[in-house]
Amino acid sequence: MMLIVVILPIFTGILLPLLSFRGRRAMWIYLETAVCANSALVCWMLFHAPRGTITVFRFMHDLSITLRLDGPGAVFAGLVAFLWPFAMLYAFAYMEREEGAESFFLFYTATYGITLGVALSENILTMYFFFEMLSLVTLPLVMHTRSREAIRASRAYLYYMLGGAAFAFIGMIFVLVYGSTSSFVPGGVLDMANIREKKDTLLAVYVLCFCGFSVKTAMWPFSSWLPKAGVAPTPVTALLHAVAVVNTGAFAVMRVTYFSFGTRLLRGTWAQRTVLVLVVFTILYGCSRALKETHLKRRLAWSTVSNLSYILFGVALMTPAGLTGAMSHLVFHSFMKICAFLCAGAVIHQTGRSYVHELDGLGRRMPRVFLCFTVSALALTGVPGLCGFVSKWYLAKAAVESGMALGYWGVAALLVSALLTAIYMIGIVVRAFFPGEGFDCASIAEVRDPGWKMLLPLMVFAAFILCSGLCSEAVMGALEQGLGGGM
Amino acid sequence: MAFVQNFPFMSIILSLFSGPLCSVLDGKRARRVNAAVIVIIGGMSICTLRYVISAGRPYVYRMGHFPAPWGNEIRVGVLEAFMACFFCAVTLLCMLGGIREREAQIEEGKQNLYYVMVNLLLCSLLALIYTNDLFTAYVFVEINTISACGLIMIRQTGRTFEAAARYMIMSLLGSGLLLLGISYLYAVTGHLLMSDIRQQVQTIAATGQYHISLMVALGLMSVGLAIKSALYPFHAWLPDAYGYSTLSSSAILSSLVSKGYIFLLVKIFYRVVGAQVVRESKVVNVLFVFGIAGMIMGSLSAIREGNLRRMIAYSSVAQIGYIYMGLGLATEAGSIASLYHVLSHGATKSLLFVAAAGLADASGGSDKYGDITGAGFRNRLAGVAFTVGSLSMVGMPMFSGFISKLLFAQAAVGHTHKMFPTVIALAISTVLNAVYFMKTVIRIYTRRPMEQAGGSGAAGPSPDAGAHAGMPGTESLPGAGRQVSLWEQPAKTAALLCFILLNLILGLNSDPIVRLIQSGFEMFE
Amino acid sequence: MDALLLVPIALPLIGGAALLVSSFRESVSGGRRGPGAGEAAASPHWPWLGRYVAAVLGISVVSALAAAWTGEREAVLFTLLDGIPVYFRVDALGRLFVTVASVIWMLAMLFGFVYMRREGKEKRYFGFYLMLYGILMGLYFAGNLVTMYLFYELTTLASMPLVLHSGKRESIMAALKYLFYSLCGAYGGLFGIFFLHRYCGSLTFAAGGTLDPAAAQGHEGILLIAVFAALVGFGAKAGMLPLHAWLPTAHPVAPSPASAVLSAVIVKSGVLAAIRVVFYIVGPEFLRGTWVQRAWMGLALLTVFTGSLLAYRERVFKKRLAYSTVSQVSYILFGLSLLTEDAFAGALFHVAVHAAAKCGLFLTAGVFAYHFGYTKVEELAGMGKRMPGTMWCYLLLSLTLVGIPPTGGFISKWYLAEGALQSDAGAFAWLGPAVLLLSALLTAGYLLPVAMGGFFPGPRGSAEPLERREAPPAMLLPLVMLAALAVLSGIFPGGLAGYASDIAGAVLSP
Repeated sequence: MMLIVVILPIFTGILLPLLSFRGRRAMWIYLETAVCANSALVCWMLFHAPRGTITVFRFMHDLSITLRLDGPGAVFAGLVAFLWPFAMLYAFAYMEREEGAESFFLFYTATYGITLGVALSENILTMYFFFEMLSLVTLPLVMHTRSREAIRASRAYLYYMLGGAAFAFIGMIFVLVYGSTSSFVPGGVLDMANIREKKDTLLAVYVLCFCGFSVKTAMWPFSSWLPKAGVAPTPVTALLHAVAVVNTGAFAVMRVTYFSFGTRLLRGTWAQRTVLVLVVFTILYGCSRALKETHLKRRLAWSTVSNLSYILFGVALMTPAGLTGAMSHLVFHSFMKICAFLCAGAVIHQTGRSYVHELDGLGRRMPRVFLCFTVSALALTGVPGLCGFVSKWYLAKAAVESGMALGYWGVAALLVSALLTAIYMIGIVVRAFFPGEGFDCASIAEVRDPGWKMLLPLMVFAAFILCSGLCSEAVMGALEQGLGGGM
Repeated sequence: MAFVQNFPFMSIILSLFSGPLCSVLDGKRARRVNAAVIVIIGGMSICTLRYVISAGRPYVYRMGHFPAPWGNEIRVGVLEAFMACFFCAVTLLCMLGGIREREAQIEEGKQNLYYVMVNLLLCSLLALIYTNDLFTAYVFVEINTISACGLIMIRQTGRTFEAAARYMIMSLLGSGLLLLGISYLYAVTGHLLMSDIRQQVQTIAATGQYHISLMVALGLMSVGLAIKSALYPFHAWLPDAYGYSTLSSSAILSSLVSKGYIFLLVKIFYRVVGAQVVRESKVVNVLFVFGIAGMIMGSLSAIREGNLRRMIAYSSVAQIGYIYMGLGLATEAGSIASLYHVLSHGATKSLLFVAAAGLADASGGSDKYGDITGAGFRNRLAGVAFTVGSLSMVGMPMFSGFISKLLFAQAAVGHTHKMFPTVIALAISTVLNAVYFMKTVIRIYTRRPMEQAGGSGAAGPSPDAGAHAGMPGTESLPGAGRQVSLWEQPAKTAALLCFILLNLILGLNSDPIVRLIQSGFEMFE
Repeated sequence: MDALLLVPIALPLIGGAALLVSSFRESVSGGRRGPGAGEAAASPHWPWLGRYVAAVLGISVVSALAAAWTGEREAVLFTLLDGIPVYFRVDALGRLFVTVASVIWMLAMLFGFVYMRREGKEKRYFGFYLMLYGILMGLYFAGNLVTMYLFYELTTLASMPLVLHSGKRESIMAALKYLFYSLCGAYGGLFGIFFLHRYCGSLTFAAGGTLDPAAAQGHEGILLIAVFAALVGFGAKAGMLPLHAWLPTAHPVAPSPASAVLSAVIVKSGVLAAIRVVFYIVGPEFLRGTWVQRAWMGLALLTVFTGSLLAYRERVFKKRLAYSTVSQVSYILFGLSLLTEDAFAGALFHVAVHAAAKCGLFLTAGVFAYHFGYTKVEELAGMGKRMPGTMWCYLLLSLTLVGIPPTGGFISKWYLAEGALQSDAGAFAWLGPAVLLLSALLTAGYLLPVAMGGFFPGPRGSAEPLERREAPPAMLLPLVMLAALAVLSGIFPGGLAGYASDIAGAVLSP
């Protein structure tokens, strides 16, 4: 079962060039069916949580590719399974005029399986394996347009990804050598008796490993790839660089921190302080860069940098509450940011405009798109009643409860970042809806809302943002239940 | 004595004597004879391997049944037999992959001589693997050098002469040091047979006598073999030698010749001197430091390089650095990792060379970095193969490079002092590998050409290489591409496929191989 | 669960939103800003829009007042997050604010019906106007801190469109400035809330505070910082230094009825939030004598003085009024910061008085701008001859704000000064009244000359003949009522003062 959901999208992708569809429509039906079926399978799997593990393959006698469904994995898998069919729908509308759709969808679909693989990893090697694979399959998507800029971006992307993995590798090795097992076990697997005199070394390794995995979440000083990767088609930026890839990084950090190294070893050490400082700095850094950026997608990308560090902040608090906050932000941020990105993509698709100052007055002509954008902007800002506030609340709560001075600074950073988010997001909304006196409305007379394939995902995501913000209890309850086994 | 036991000796002799045979045949026949010989030797090695595994212990084969010190001994363990199999397989594939290049680049009359050299080389490699006699090893080291030199300069351009001369000088320097070391050891112990020396060394080490002499001998031998296998500061000869010689030569040289020396060094460490003494000596630390320096500097040079094959050659410097770093750890795990890397690097580097030739083939014969833009679309198999090789080099799971990286790191973690330098160097080196290999992979899959041949200062911009891909009449342009189909060179296709397969086997099914190396290693004792 | 409590919140929200997406045609706007152009080209739909808005707001106000004054009510909606529900409850403080806001809202709406015909885009204006009322009701009825914060943020968002109504570059920038300052303040408040959530027994308001002394033991330092952050943050909305700069920018650019409600009511939401945090969550005893109290007092006094001074120097009429708001609202905050009963009562009293007075003043400014397009102070010379009714209202409202007996302003300032002198706040006990006095002087200095110039224009103004042209009744009526309220509250202070003292007694000596 677990194997199927990982393999199915990959094979769907690989079959794509072999089947050589005549029309886009047939391809669309084929892919959408496959993706939806896979999501349905994932859902079924989540509700009939299979116990036990599946060992797919053994690298070495004690190292294997093994899949298992547990709480955090279920959360991540569920998130991905929910988002993918909608993003696919959107991607079809977006790509209808672009060339090379076949290779695009090949990798786009395959990424689905690999992301699920990360979610379902049972041990650190499996996670590392899928982590690396993810860098590779998403590479062609970044360089899809094959323009000079795209090539540059994809190079930077790859260097950062593989570099990060190289440092994460160190952490993995230590877990393999010093851990009692390579599996993810709540509370960590390190053998305390074995490491007493090596504690400082191990902490240094943890910091390296943290940095390595968080390259994918674009933590400062490894953040510059993410805005560059914005040259990719918007469905990629939206789904991968706001959700799948970056969340994989955060998820991996979470796994390593809570399930491999264990918070007991790390809490209160210099390692924790180091990563907290990095993360808190990133929160502010991402926001300030977003503020300076005038390209809409890049601005959103910088915003992602900052928001992902919220997640890492929650993880780095190393308390159960912090984990809850981190996972909730992981889920909610995905919705907010994918919605914002898809709106940006819709604008690009309909008008070809990609700079913030070109958006004047578009809100009048594309009311639905910009309504969704407003919802996600407000949610990102953290207006209560929308889901962004909920996760912020839990993160701040965890930080306050942690009682660390750095936690308090983190709360302050969260709020400063929220303010900056308001400045760079709501500025866009105001610009779009209130272009100002003397604005030439004729210049955008031709602009229309996009078709249903694009609008439907937007609406669904916006509705989710609203609902989960108002009835967060239900969502958080499910999350905490999922994580309950985790702590 | 089982008949199988004769096989190692027979394979050495067979390859030695097929050389003269080839010299009288014409090119084509020589090629067939050569291939047949390699296949036969491979078969015999497999039989030997199976025999040794089933026997569970190594055996010593005395030539002509004379006991030492008069006779010459061959000692066959699991590791030796396995290495022989592997070397044969890689040689065969390298020869297969480079047929076209050989025909194009070697004068008609000298074709057969090439096969002579290959046979000699194989013979010397086998001898290095099997021999139980230090002096025999030295002799075959020299034979190896000479044949390798021949392989380099058989493609007669100015560059290769220069490269061969450099290679010769450096190699002879190395051989000289090796000889000095062997003489020292002989003087101290009075033996040339490895097993005898070992006993002697144990006693000497136990009493503390001749400590300095022993260290000097060890140092001389290590440095000599390090020079010959192009450890970092002694690598200057390597890029030219690998970069300009004909394809089969570079592939064989990079994946096998230096590995033969490394295997000899491992034997010297663990069978001649003994692990204990080696561990206590400072020589390993020197190797360790230079290994790490090689990992970094080799990659840096590769990043700066603008020629595809020279880039791969520089990458070899880095990979040799890995191996010496593993040896420098002076633990069993480290040595096993090194030996595994010998395999993995052997399989990967020759794959890369063959794939690079395929790419160059699709780009008008130029392997300048700027000209191969989009070559992955023109020669699909070569593109895929190059990607596989690159990923393996970068250490992507599923491919062989990952396993050796894993083994290295695991070996390092067990070490007290060398742990941090090793893991950090591994990580940095991975990043650097990624930089130059993945840069190339991205480039070969870039459909549109750049306005200028970007990046590493490659000359000869190709304004419309990709745009005219596959169009007839553009072949005259340097770097202009043409479509290369899968069936155009079946031999190369087969070689590439086999290499990819080999890589995947090493990457996915490493457990038995590691166990094999481990058991072979135990047989050293 | 009490449905009546939800009506005044939900009805205007829904009504406003419906108006925004409805197909009411707005009157065509364009180039009708010339002086003297009182008549607007009313579109055929215009009366319907007016009736609709009036009906929705009327029902809402009636139900709000009914809900507020007929007994204790509470309503729990759904759980927002973390076990904290959206919770509404009527209490004494909320009742006072609801009443003040409802009255102001009705009057400003009346005024707006006339005024907004000229501004255009009435649909948008009244849509947000209605929504804002609903949100304010939510804010006043909020029964716990998170619900309050929810509506506090919404207040900012919904009032922003009122500020940028004219759509000019300047007003858009002003609106953004308003938004960012308010959000900045709100996040300061949120910072406080995070910590209060940790150290307080519950976030449900209770007179005297819910601080859990055991939990807070040893964490006083960070808790004080948090409370201070909350005070400065919520103070931003009330125009307290150092986050006051938005107010003189944003209020003047809005249409006059909008500036009136912004200055009269919306800024008070910051006051309400500060009261809720200090007196209903943290508890005054925790703050008494700490650096937070001193800093708060210092900031408030500084704002009082600076606001007056800046108003005195300002030449643009509405801006002058805006600076005056900065100064006057900080009277209230100063009164709160003293943590004594009299001062608290005085502060609440001033909430009501200032709301009436400042709303009226902005409306007069609106009348002048509407009829003559005058915005500068100098231009108003001789206005008393033209519009004596309006000018008289202005004079009375000014006197209220200055604090001349027998107006309401005198009462509130009396209480404030008395509270200050009673308090044990050291130097502030005498410094406070002194600054209040000085500021009153300045207030007189910047408000009364306008009236004097209006009635006695002097040689310059009399040069041209002045025709008498009173404002239309729909505009004059709110003015007169507000002026009457302002004065009457001073003549009959008993009821309001007593009510305020009761609340003060409840929160300060539970």
